[in-house]
Amino acid sequence: MNELYLFLLMVIPLAAAGVVALGPAGREKSVSMAAMLLCGVITLLLLLAFDWTRAATMQFEASVAWLPRLGLSLSVGVDSVALLLIALTALLGPICVACSYTAITERVRTYYAWLLVLQSAMFGVFAARDLVLFYIAFEFTLVPMYVLIALYGSTNRKKAATKFFLYTFTGSMIALAGLVYVAWHAAEMRKGWSFDIATLELAARTLPASAQGWVLAALLAGFAVKVPLFPLHTWLPLAHTEAPTAGSVILAGVLLKLGTYGIYRFAIPFAPAAFAEYAPAISAVCIVGILYGGLICWVQTDVKKLVAYSSVAHLGFCILGMAALNTAGLSGSIMYMINHGLSTGALFLLIGMIYERYHTRNMKELGGLAAKMPVWATFMVFFAMASVGLPGLNGFVSEFLCLIGAFQADGRWGAGSMGSGLWGSGGAAVPGATWGSLGPWYAGVAGVGMIVAAMYLLYMVGRVVFGPLVEPAGHGHEAHGSESHAAPGHGSESHAAPGHGSESRATTGHGSESRATTERVHGVLPADLNLREILTLAPLAVLCLGLGVYPTPVLEAINGPVQKTAYMVEDAVKPRLAGERAPAGVRPVFDLGGHEATNPDGTKPKEGEVIGQ
Amino acid sequence: MMERVTYLYPEIALFITTCIVMIVGLSRELKHRKLCAPISGLGLLAAGVLATGLVPGFHVATGAEVDPTAGQILLPNLVPYAKVLVAGVGILLLLLQAGTVDRVEEARIASGRAAFNPLRSNRAEYYAFFLFSLTGLMLCASADDLIWLFLALELTSLPTYIMVTMSTSRHSSQEAGVKYFFLGALGAAVFLYGFTLLYGATGSTNLNQIHHAIAAGGLSGLSLAGMLLALLGVCFKIAAVPMHFYTADVYQGAASSVSAFLAFVPKTAGFIAILLLASCAGWTHGAGDSLPDALRTVLWVIAALTMTVGNVLAIWQNSVKRILAYSSIAHSGYMLVGVVAGPGGGTFATSGIAAVLFYLLCYGVMNIGTFGVLACLEGRAGADGEPAEIESLDDLRGLCQRHPVLGWTMVICTLSLLGLPPLLGFFGKVPLFTSAISAGEIPLVVVLGLNSAIAAFYYLRIVGSCLLEKPETTTGIVRVTPFGSRPAGALASAAGVIVLAIFGNGFMAASEKAAAYDGGHVEKKEPRAAGVPETAPQALGPAKAEGH
Amino acid sequence: MAGLVEMVSVCFGGVALAQTGYPAEMHRLTLDHYMVVSAVMFAIGLIGFLTRRNLIIMFLCTELMFQASGIALVALGRYHLDFTGQTFVIFVLTVAAAEAAMALALVVLLFRRRESLDAEEWSELNG
Repeated sequence: MNELYLFLLMVIPLAAAGVVALGPAGREKSVSMAAMLLCGVITLLLLLAFDWTRAATMQFEASVAWLPRLGLSLSVGVDSVALLLIALTALLGPICVACSYTAITERVRTYYAWLLVLQSAMFGVFAARDLVLFYIAFEFTLVPMYVLIALYGSTNRKKAATKFFLYTFTGSMIALAGLVYVAWHAAEMRKGWSFDIATLELAARTLPASAQGWVLAALLAGFAVKVPLFPLHTWLPLAHTEAPTAGSVILAGVLLKLGTYGIYRFAIPFAPAAFAEYAPAISAVCIVGILYGGLICWVQTDVKKLVAYSSVAHLGFCILGMAALNTAGLSGSIMYMINHGLSTGALFLLIGMIYERYHTRNMKELGGLAAKMPVWATFMVFFAMASVGLPGLNGFVSEFLCLIGAFQADGRWGAGSMGSGLWGSGGAAVPGATWGSLGPWYAGVAGVGMIVAAMYLLYMVGRVVFGPLVEPAGHGHEAHGSESHAAPGHGSESHAAPGHGSESRATTGHGSESRATTERVHGVLPADLNLREILTLAPLAVLCLGLGVYPTPVLEAINGPVQKTAYMVEDAVKPRLAGERAPAGVRPVFDLGGHEATNPDGTKPKEGEVIGQ
Repeated sequence: MMERVTYLYPEIALFITTCIVMIVGLSRELKHRKLCAPISGLGLLAAGVLATGLVPGFHVATGAEVDPTAGQILLPNLVPYAKVLVAGVGILLLLLQAGTVDRVEEARIASGRAAFNPLRSNRAEYYAFFLFSLTGLMLCASADDLIWLFLALELTSLPTYIMVTMSTSRHSSQEAGVKYFFLGALGAAVFLYGFTLLYGATGSTNLNQIHHAIAAGGLSGLSLAGMLLALLGVCFKIAAVPMHFYTADVYQGAASSVSAFLAFVPKTAGFIAILLLASCAGWTHGAGDSLPDALRTVLWVIAALTMTVGNVLAIWQNSVKRILAYSSIAHSGYMLVGVVAGPGGGTFATSGIAAVLFYLLCYGVMNIGTFGVLACLEGRAGADGEPAEIESLDDLRGLCQRHPVLGWTMVICTLSLLGLPPLLGFFGKVPLFTSAISAGEIPLVVVLGLNSAIAAFYYLRIVGSCLLEKPETTTGIVRVTPFGSRPAGALASAAGVIVLAIFGNGFMAASEKAAAYDGGHVEKKEPRAAGVPETAPQALGPAKAEGH
Repeated sequence: MAGLVEMVSVCFGGVALAQTGYPAEMHRLTLDHYMVVSAVMFAIGLIGFLTRRNLIIMFLCTELMFQASGIALVALGRYHLDFTGQTFVIFVLTVAAAEAAMALALVVLLFRRRESLDAEEWSELNG
């Protein structure tokens, strides 16, 4: 039965999407909510049934033959990392449905159907144990998201959706070449094609160094666009600002994690030595992204764009932790994926709530809302704090771990190279140092980014929440939506009435006549948050607090897979080092030998334990 | 001798059907004339069933079974697959042809304004040409001789020139027909000269003996020139650079149903010809198993240019038919990657030939969907009573809301052309990736990947128009065609795009079998394993056990 | 001129096909001569097709290219001492005749509409 759960997670939303799209009108909300909640229940069952003592092992594995000529199968399975991300997806699903209840008034059925399809694809990404199944799910998230942005977004929605699609599609086509290359390499060795991820991971260990470099480049081209890392991020702010609230929540909450998850699951295991070799370059890019994202935030007046750029910075931290390639960094990175999903998702929800009421996201037109919307303001401050990493809230734990990871990953010190001037002469100056090629410099500069992040978010909160009350001109009372600020997404209703077609007429529950709809929506929404909105935010807040105060369970849960990954990289790097060290005068990139000499028992515990599982 | 005839049962069936159709179409009775299409369908069905070789008493010999000096023994199992493919896609194409010709004339006869005049009726010829062309295509697959191949290619092409011209009464159709004919004649002259030189260089027109001669003596200057000219001429059929100039104009000028035909039939004929010619040269040269260097380089460049030119030019178009025409060019480029990759290890994932054969099926199915939708939509009737074709992207606005079935067919088929998983186009493209990487053609794979991404620009425009825009009363679409088989054809191909993606394994196996390449006259080398350490397989064994 | 002939004949593998034991009556007219004539015809046809704009002329150019193959096929058949080449020629002539019929039909059709045979004038299709 347990084996079926993962398939059910993919099938239920798809089936529900079919029901929503073709079934009776007026039921779309309840059907999609029911499907999302059902997925939530299944995820809970999975969490309960999961054997946390063997967290690094794939569980609930199941496989159905499919196109065996190509070596494809429908294989699923999760370790704790994938399961936690599935849980995050399952949590955000109902929230996205709930936050769209009043925001979406037009072509409602299409909206919920695509939302459900998207959910299914995201479950597929995390559950896949077959490379092509992963790729299919990964790519298939593009279409629903494209439609959600292009149909339900604001002014620039088509451009934003197209840019989003083209960027990610281009990247993933190159990634496909890389993935197929690895599969070919495995096929050469095993004399038979297979896209089974476990098999490929093992086969990839024998990839020659130059090939690993190319594989890494190809995979990063696909996943870094999705993350997005600094020079490839330009689609993100646009997509976020144009997307509807639920779209932004999913985009920030889960879709971006597909990129980081892809790097964690494929880029590192398929090209471990290359990843280690280029880790400094990757981290440098991350740090530039962190600082750049932070500085760009300063000049933003659009609140949503600000949060979007902050995402760029935050995910820079996430990849920085990953590039540290040690337990702390990787744990922090995975924690970051979850935490960012929670806190940034919540921030987008809050901004969406404001936008529904005021039809603006301009910081200059909003201010002192604490006076009018105390509940909203409380949540806003809370999640902003979580996002900037206030100790005691979730962001702090992951950000700190990422920095620690980067700080400790300074195996180079043994060679007495970079950084020794700052911290005294070589050796084990950093407590708990692991091998790696980053170091305090990286952590230090990234830490500056942390401060910048805190400043811009707090500045935004201070401006919007506190201070004198400012509301958009013409917005005397929230019940009368000001036409001048009506978003084009809504404005377009006013001239589209004749050609609406069957669908919107079928959803007369919310009216196909635009003005009536707008006023009704405003009539429904009180000045402050209503119960539904509070209930959407509450679980996120509880989790943010919980993970901040007591992150140990999650950290323990992901410890196994993380250690496995860390050792796997180390194993991949070591033999190469042994070969490289021979010629004198050439500085080894990773001086494991020197490091082991100074710190003999620091990094090598219980290897057999983890690998042997 | 007799087995040479059994080789041709499907063609014979088609030819008999053609003769019947030609006569029935001239009947004075409308109900008899209307039988043309069903009879053609039955003929195609019969040909397809015969081609499987499973009919008792009608065992169709494959190349391997006929005597070794004759018959197509380089790709011995190609024939059944190719003919079943042609018959199957031919039936889908036939569904779109309803009402392409004689529409105005039949309306006049029905209203009593005119009497039936066999000289003014085109129905019989049209369906006969349709079947002739498909017969030629099947003959291409059976070709074992340059003369045969030449005649088969001509038999495939000549009817299409007339089909284009007569497909509508618009001037543009006639211009398109003339343009297509003249460039087609040029292409034919070029590959004919190539065939001549091949004959001169090897002393035989038999493909198998040419293969022997080339395998024994290598590609001489003359045979290389012949091979290059032949490939260049055949590039016209597949609309590859540098012979692609006609494509957009001709597809735009012809009726949509005929454009769908043009995108599949000559292209398939061309690819079969290219595969046969390339198999004469053999993929057994160089470090890996590949074509002789000069040939490989030329095909490499043609492939890269074709996809790039097709995709880049498609971006600037506003007419859906022109976009699809340029995309057809690009898809030829994708398939050429498979030709460059060659037979590889012979399994589906490593064989470029299998990839090409499977992609032909995928492309045929998904392309018919897009052109089929266009064939289903009618604009305002012109002065002569013939409805205008739907062309501009703007006309498709809001199609999903106005005509959900057609709109979604368009969206699904377009996304499949884009290669978006989990639709058929993706599974067509993956073997191209895998086979080319197996053959070591990694730069070409990167070009292929980037091109797929460029293609997203214009396919998204089509999807966006259909799915996202609001329907406007100003679009040119007046109504859906009264001919019910057209939507049926489009819908069937959309269903095929989804169903084949799920249950495509049988077809993949069939194409793998069809791609079996018997270049065994030359010692085969071990497949290349670049840079894999010797110890690798041993290392994998225990590690794998530990992983689970 | 002789130098040109030699150059072209080398291009077309005259060296590779150096005819030893060639029948005596052909000693003045070798395979190379036929091949050069056919190549020149083919080139003239190709160039003519690409440069001329009158449809009839363009069609004649393609015919020239077909017949270039015909000459080469006959000569090569004689050279290889088999009949395949000549068989091929018969088929080529048949196909050429079919194409001629079709070409003239198409040209007449267009001429009726436009009263012109200039390919440039038909620009309804922008290509």
